[in-house]
Amino acid sequence: MRGGQPIAFVVGLVFALVVGAALLTISGDPVFDTYQRMWDRSFGTADTLSATFNRAVPLALAGLAVSIAATMGLWNIGAEGQIMFGATAATLVGRIGAEWPSPVLIVAMLIGAALGGALWALGPGLAKAEIGVSEIITTLMLNEVAVRLIVYLQTGPWKDPDGFGFPQITVKPEGSQLGIIWERSHLGVLIALAVIAGFAWFVNRSVWGYELRIAGASAKTAAYAGISMRKKVLGVLVLSGAVAGFAGGVELAGTAARLNENISNGFGFAGIIVAALALMRPSGVALVAVFFGAVQVGGQSIQTLGVSPAVAGILQALILFGAIGAAVLSTYQVALVERKVVTP
Amino acid sequence: MTHPAVELDGIWKRFPGVIANAGAGLTVRPGTVHAVLGENGAGKTTLMNCLAGVYRPDEGHVRIDGRTMIFASPADALAAGIGMVHQEFRLVPTFTVAENVVLGAAPRVLDTAEIERQVGEMAARFGFQVEPDRPVWQLSMGERQRVEILKALWRDARVLILDEPTAVLTPQEAVELGEVLRRMVADGRSVIFISHKLDEVVSFCDEATVLRGGETVAASVPVADVDASELARLMVGDVAVEAVPIAVAMPGDPALTVDNLFVRDARGLVAVDGVSFDVRSGEIVGIAGVAGNGQRALTDAIAGLEPVEAGTVTVMRTDVTNAPPQRRFAAGLAYVPEDRLGVGLAPKLPVTENAVMREFRTLRRGPLLNWASARAFCDRIVERFEVKIGKRDAPLAGLSGGNLQRLLLGRELSGKPDVVVASQPTRGLDVAGVRAIQRLIVQQRDEGTGVLMVSEDLDELLSLADRILVMNAGRIVGEFNAREATRTQIGEAMMGTTAEASA
Amino acid sequence: MQRRLRIILSVLFAFTLIAAGCGDDDDAAVDSGGDTAADDSAGDEAADDNAASECAPIKPDDTTSSVDASDVTAAFVYLTDPGDAGWTWAHHRGAEQAAAATGATLLTVENIAEGSPEFDQSVRDFIADGADAVFATSFGYMDAMEALAAEFPDVDFFHATGYKSNDTNFGNYFGRIYQARYLTGLTAGAATETNEIGYVAAFPIPEVIRGINAFTLGVREANPDATVTVNWTSTWFDPAVEGEAAQALLDGGADVIAMHQDSTAAGERAEAAGARWISYNSDMCEYAPNAYLSSAIWNWGHYYALAIESVADGSFAGGGTWPGMETGMVQIGSLASDVSQEIRDLIDQRSEEMIAGTFDPFTGPINDQDGNELIAAGETPPDFAPEGLSLLGMSVFVEGVVGSAAG
Repeated sequence: MRGGQPIAFVVGLVFALVVGAALLTISGDPVFDTYQRMWDRSFGTADTLSATFNRAVPLALAGLAVSIAATMGLWNIGAEGQIMFGATAATLVGRIGAEWPSPVLIVAMLIGAALGGALWALGPGLAKAEIGVSEIITTLMLNEVAVRLIVYLQTGPWKDPDGFGFPQITVKPEGSQLGIIWERSHLGVLIALAVIAGFAWFVNRSVWGYELRIAGASAKTAAYAGISMRKKVLGVLVLSGAVAGFAGGVELAGTAARLNENISNGFGFAGIIVAALALMRPSGVALVAVFFGAVQVGGQSIQTLGVSPAVAGILQALILFGAIGAAVLSTYQVALVERKVVTP
Repeated sequence: MTHPAVELDGIWKRFPGVIANAGAGLTVRPGTVHAVLGENGAGKTTLMNCLAGVYRPDEGHVRIDGRTMIFASPADALAAGIGMVHQEFRLVPTFTVAENVVLGAAPRVLDTAEIERQVGEMAARFGFQVEPDRPVWQLSMGERQRVEILKALWRDARVLILDEPTAVLTPQEAVELGEVLRRMVADGRSVIFISHKLDEVVSFCDEATVLRGGETVAASVPVADVDASELARLMVGDVAVEAVPIAVAMPGDPALTVDNLFVRDARGLVAVDGVSFDVRSGEIVGIAGVAGNGQRALTDAIAGLEPVEAGTVTVMRTDVTNAPPQRRFAAGLAYVPEDRLGVGLAPKLPVTENAVMREFRTLRRGPLLNWASARAFCDRIVERFEVKIGKRDAPLAGLSGGNLQRLLLGRELSGKPDVVVASQPTRGLDVAGVRAIQRLIVQQRDEGTGVLMVSEDLDELLSLADRILVMNAGRIVGEFNAREATRTQIGEAMMGTTAEASA
Repeated sequence: MQRRLRIILSVLFAFTLIAAGCGDDDDAAVDSGGDTAADDSAGDEAADDNAASECAPIKPDDTTSSVDASDVTAAFVYLTDPGDAGWTWAHHRGAEQAAAATGATLLTVENIAEGSPEFDQSVRDFIADGADAVFATSFGYMDAMEALAAEFPDVDFFHATGYKSNDTNFGNYFGRIYQARYLTGLTAGAATETNEIGYVAAFPIPEVIRGINAFTLGVREANPDATVTVNWTSTWFDPAVEGEAAQALLDGGADVIAMHQDSTAAGERAEAAGARWISYNSDMCEYAPNAYLSSAIWNWGHYYALAIESVADGSFAGGGTWPGMETGMVQIGSLASDVSQEIRDLIDQRSEEMIAGTFDPFTGPINDQDGNELIAAGETPPDFAPEGLSLLGMSVFVEGVVGSAAG
């Protein structure tokens, strides 16, 4: 964020809280307690802040994945499936290397996850680059395929032999758990930050990133500069998939006990919002993701206070919409204009 | 007494960091064609946008027929009878002429045949030649402009603003436009004609208002009473306007050879239909023609942006017919495309990144771009070609049109090319910018570079080129010695009315 | 995707599209944010007085307790919202009754996805709010609950439908609902005229397969010629999908529909088709008074009261519990007026035998789907078994079931 955006953020947040207060009053919930709770359970203590960071990890990586594709004007709606398949690939690595030393296993799993996500995006990438099939459709459809694949693995080849017939995949190997770095935050927080920073640096500095910006500017300019749009479209979608898949690997190694179809938990779709609110700038996704994660965690916590899930959901949307939305809108000039004709 | 049709009084319009209008004024009498003159950046377009409801002035009054108006939107202005034809046309390519004309102001039930009849009738009344049932994508730029004018007339615009209307027209089309404008004026309407081409102003307009630096420096001067040089002096201030000095060409061997070239456009239609010519070292070959007769496809094909169906393109004896653009550049071919911001430059990217668009492959260090070298490279272009930039890392879009073109041309010339293909290199630039670009092109020629220059400004070609080829319907239909040819001869060839001249 | 995120997504997506539209005059198309979530209320009209069948639903509410557990805070995590009549409704009703009976404080949270970080988050929220006992009412919460039980030894953890436990503060609980399903099978077998019965089922997991098998054994006892065709939906709760699945079975010739689902959609389709319906989770005769035949229903309040008592007096020590009809935790609901006296007598007889422990539907000889012997004569599979057939690990269909137990 830059310029007037921090101010717009605060103004938008206050506005959202005021509207939210009206909503809570109508629904008969205590306004102050609700907000106090949301704050306490998201940023309020080291313990909850560390949980918010954990929640931000998949959101930020998914947001990064979406924003990478967006640099070329492409919509990766399939981060959800890529997260799932990335986690599936990481699980495969974990099954092969269960006995490997923990650091080796984790690195191998995360690489596997990135490759898995890349593979999941390869088809849409090829279809888009070679014959112009909309990546929106193909990536979205593959989400469902990823769900089915995991369900198949649960009931078939990877079914937990110790699960009393329950359709679930064997728990991940012990060595695959990412270590805790602070309170409840796991190492994935640092890994995600490093990936985002590294990607931003690479795009800014590298010839590849330069070509990406030219290709994102216009196809004709890219042709003029001798840059192959086909290769760029393919490369960008595959990289976007790799980052989303990586998110699945980090989520599996960081928070999940075993692979299941909820490993993506809507993070892939939320990543679209994260990327949009970060104005599709990779550098902005981390901040937006932390805020998004806090709203998710805090919004969920008020349910135990008795606020109905519907009201909690609207409140979450309001705050995201109000605060970050205002910051985004502040890049546009908004003016109220009167409309009149004066006769002298 | 009758009120002025339009009266703009003390208009101020500020943008962040820029004052576009500083108390500018304009008074247009009903039933006249009124020229608004000024260099690029003089505030002409901003002032007109204030009149057309696109902008709201910060200060000042807008009066239409004596009534003070505040427009919240272009629709408000249109409702008050102000119609504007912008430089970039706002048409739906897949719709027909009639559909575009009535778009947004159509009757509730759309009877296509009836609307086509009405549009056709209206066009005939004002002396337009259009086919109401043709889709717009098939039309030339001149024809599209007529559709834009018809759109304003369909909404019964009493005042029509034309922003640099002749930029896309042949001389004949420009003359026709003049006739159309006279008929509109005779109908009681008023026309505001924005231009920086003095000869047009003298031939079409009744009165002229000159803007400079956002202020009105001469208001409602009767055109009949002043000569062109006086208007020019008012426009540019006290800077002397001189023509680019042209030495006699000393052409050498062919630098660019195009042989029997066929190119299809994106719709699969033949855009270049068997074109052959040479450009020799040290000469400027001009391509004249009405917009949309294959010039763009020809230059794009030479530059490698459009696939060639048949024929060859040779640069300095190297066959580059199927080579990618960067190999052609390495072979000595520089290209200044017609669409600077959409093809030749990336406006949202920083100046540096635009400057190295041709050379970045030689500036890499492993997977990374060597940014120190890139900036140095950019600085050299900026310095040598006198490009006025703000910050090197700021988006290019902040530069003025003339500086954009200097940067683009500078970048292309930095590779010391043997051939320069320049498409509309001076279009839309102000007088100083045009002179600077023309001077650079002539200088290249004098240093022995072969130049192929496409322009819709016949005067420019006549003054710069050594030879002029005329394109019509994808073919070269005439070749003229630029020192001997007349506007009329070339104009006739452009319309395809003469038999094929000896090539 | 959960409903909550869907709300956020639609609002924000619409907004971002508008914002994007602001920047680009040529592309001002604004999506309104997509479809609204499918209407999840299945209608809550009470019994229609003019209906052909009288409807007198059995709603278990006899939860009582002699223990004062008013210093206990019991927290419940639900997979869906309680809705009107399904799985979560049955748990929520039980939780409310148990809380009322024991005086315990009740906390709830709904729409928590299985295997997501949200479960962990909710339980920590509950514990921060002073929860002494946490009840997780879906299978997929098991791993996370196991970890939380280890981290919070002072809190008691109860997990429904799983198999993990410890011997201090983490237990699993479920009920032998298959006993009630077997009884409903008797009514279905007697009622079918086409000898084809449809079964709308969620996921091919042991809990569901066991229920289909017990139901089928009941059907075949009343009518050896009838078969039960299974249609998998891959969802616990999705009225649209459930309705479509039921319709497909009806179109295929079934005239009785049973289900392992959480909405009343299948019943509404059966009602419209003039077929019969057996509900699950609760007695849903109000929702399809003409189609309603019988139901397999839960009385979770009974168990929850016991569980809260064990928390209050400190006697809870983990482990597993799987009670049947003898505790009142599972039972058959009301019977349609046209169920014959013969069948009513058989139901009473089998109920008594199951309560007394002298009868089990899974006592052999029982063949599998392909006609091979699955359970030898006189034998009954054990509840748990690491190898071979067990009730909790049941993964094959018995004779009379049409469809694949692999989903």
